[in-house]
Amino acid sequence: MKLFDLIKTANHNLFRSKTRTFLTILAVFIGSFTIILSNAINSGVNDFIDKQVATIGGDSFIEVFPSAMYDQVAGMMGGGNTSKVKEYNENTGGFMGANISNEDLEKMRKVDGVENLEIFHMLSTEYMRLEGADKKYDVSVEYFPEGNFNVDLSAGRMTSNDSGEGEIIINEDWLKPFGLDSAKDALGKTVEVAVKQTAKCYVTPNNCIASAKAKIVGVQAPGVLTMDGDLHINQILDNKLYSLSMENVPESSVQNYIAVGNVDPAKMDKIREEFKKIGYDFITVSDAVSMIRTFFDAILVVFNIFGGIALLAAAIGIINTLFMSVQERTREIGLEKALGMGKGKIFLEFSIEAILLGFWGSALGILISMIIGYSVNAVAHETFLADFPTFELVIFNPLNMTIITLIIMAIAFVAGTLPARKASKKDPINALRYE
Amino acid sequence: MNKVIEAKNLTKIYGKKAAAFTALKNINLSIYEGESVAIVGKSGSGKSTLMHILALLDRPTKGEILIDGKNASKLKNKELNKLRNERFGFVFQQFFMNANDTVLENVLLPLKIAKLGRKKRKKEALEALKIVDLESKVKNKATDLSGGQKQRVCIARAIVNQPQVIFADEPTGNLDSATGDKITDLLFDLNKKHGVTLIIVTHDEDLAKLCNRVVRISDGKIISDQTVRKDLKKAASKKRETEAARVKKANERK
Repeated sequence: MKLFDLIKTANHNLFRSKTRTFLTILAVFIGSFTIILSNAINSGVNDFIDKQVATIGGDSFIEVFPSAMYDQVAGMMGGGNTSKVKEYNENTGGFMGANISNEDLEKMRKVDGVENLEIFHMLSTEYMRLEGADKKYDVSVEYFPEGNFNVDLSAGRMTSNDSGEGEIIINEDWLKPFGLDSAKDALGKTVEVAVKQTAKCYVTPNNCIASAKAKIVGVQAPGVLTMDGDLHINQILDNKLYSLSMENVPESSVQNYIAVGNVDPAKMDKIREEFKKIGYDFITVSDAVSMIRTFFDAILVVFNIFGGIALLAAAIGIINTLFMSVQERTREIGLEKALGMGKGKIFLEFSIEAILLGFWGSALGILISMIIGYSVNAVAHETFLADFPTFELVIFNPLNMTIITLIIMAIAFVAGTLPARKASKKDPINALRYE
Repeated sequence: MNKVIEAKNLTKIYGKKAAAFTALKNINLSIYEGESVAIVGKSGSGKSTLMHILALLDRPTKGEILIDGKNASKLKNKELNKLRNERFGFVFQQFFMNANDTVLENVLLPLKIAKLGRKKRKKEALEALKIVDLESKVKNKATDLSGGQKQRVCIARAIVNQPQVIFADEPTGNLDSATGDKITDLLFDLNKKHGVTLIIVTHDEDLAKLCNRVVRISDGKIISDQTVRKDLKKAASKKRETEAARVKKANERK
């Protein structure tokens, strides 16, 4: 028999005893549904994390710390080693005393693969208000090199330094306090951002706050992973605010212990090696979100184990179903053999039946999990995920689904070998003997 | 005349040692092209075993089978399967049809196994069904047919691959005598018109009489082998006369 005829015959035979076949497919479906849906949710969560990671710098973004500080920071992120007691080093200074010198910064900038690297300014901002308005609001702002940085914008554009003016991106939470109806209305408005002038405060504690103007150029869409909820500003505003806050502060008291920049992600490991030689190390955004990923991956593993157990039970169901089928079709097998069908083909016929059981179970799993997944996603976006329009609860990756289906078909095939072997060994004479 | 199948010193022993049972003892038999051979014997005489070995469904314990002068004992299973598929047709007492398949599907099964293309096998199956006069039932399910119709489908299945030899194991055993006669007519028609060699295993003496050669078996041995060479045409026409008379009678009764 030709392979196509075999597949057709097998599928036809499968649906002869509909109830039995349906129940077996149902057993496979329970396993495939669990695995496919949990994989889709995991893909959704990971995709969302990726999008969020992209908003805070993507794969190329690094935060550089002096080695003395790195372990502490990495430890907070779930990597590194916080419990290590280290010997004090006079040259690098203590944990908070470690500064990034201009000399080291230059060295690091020259490392191959480093695209840009700037000292990160810790700005002690006081408030922000719409120009001319009375109400002041607490705010914190940060500048990161724009580079390949994307912010999920609901209106406007990314900041740049081309205008020569200070620029800021607010998020949608600010619209209401500013009395604005929509994100578009915010664009082009000027705000005042104020910082504390540390040195001046020692002299005139009641008059040590200065402000700089900035134009709102964009509004960020809601998300979960923004850098501590800080608003993004351009370098011009950053420099203005920094110089205001550091006015009259002696050079020796300036603390520059974080640098931020963009690097070529492919050269990450090489760059880390070079930085270590200079006495620095860095964390990437991926390091920072690795904990969240690990958590969701662990859940996925648990669900996959559940699905696997269900599939194991389904495999036994397949064996059982096919053994019954072989028993019932003894005559037919005998006839096929008498008419010249070989052992191998008989084996194949039953194996294909097993594989088809796996295939239909898996296909049903895909169908139902898509229906349920997309429905829940739609409902979620109306309700508890309304604030996260970019969060797709489920993502059905065709490659993943194909691989899962192939694995299930392989399991079904292995389960089918037992009954298929029994069928192939039937003796046509005994099979056709009439009692 | 050409020898189609030749059996040399066939012995078949089932079981081992103390439980051994000799079903066939030193059988020598040649089947010639175009013959109609009845293998007659009581139940347990070994006639079915002999047919199975001649039809290459079973292997003898000793001795050899020559198909067209070639030794089949030395062939691999795969080659035996192919030989059976191409040269032989089978008709069984119990029909052995796939009940849920259509008549057409049942008939073209040997061609499917022979890997024939879809169109070609359909065409040949329709031709075979024409010969058994069941063209009108092509799309019916096999279960919906009467016993005689079922056996005719089986004959169509047996001839669809245009075999050299048809093995019929008690072909009329499950049918009433009128239907049985029709089936017999059909088989002998094939023998006469198409030159198909017919090997019929039966314990029905009336059926055996219609064959031009009768081989009697008892306790695994051939006890007689008579070639009657009777005029088959005459026998057939005589049968048709009696058949016509029967139909007439039946009509009169109505």
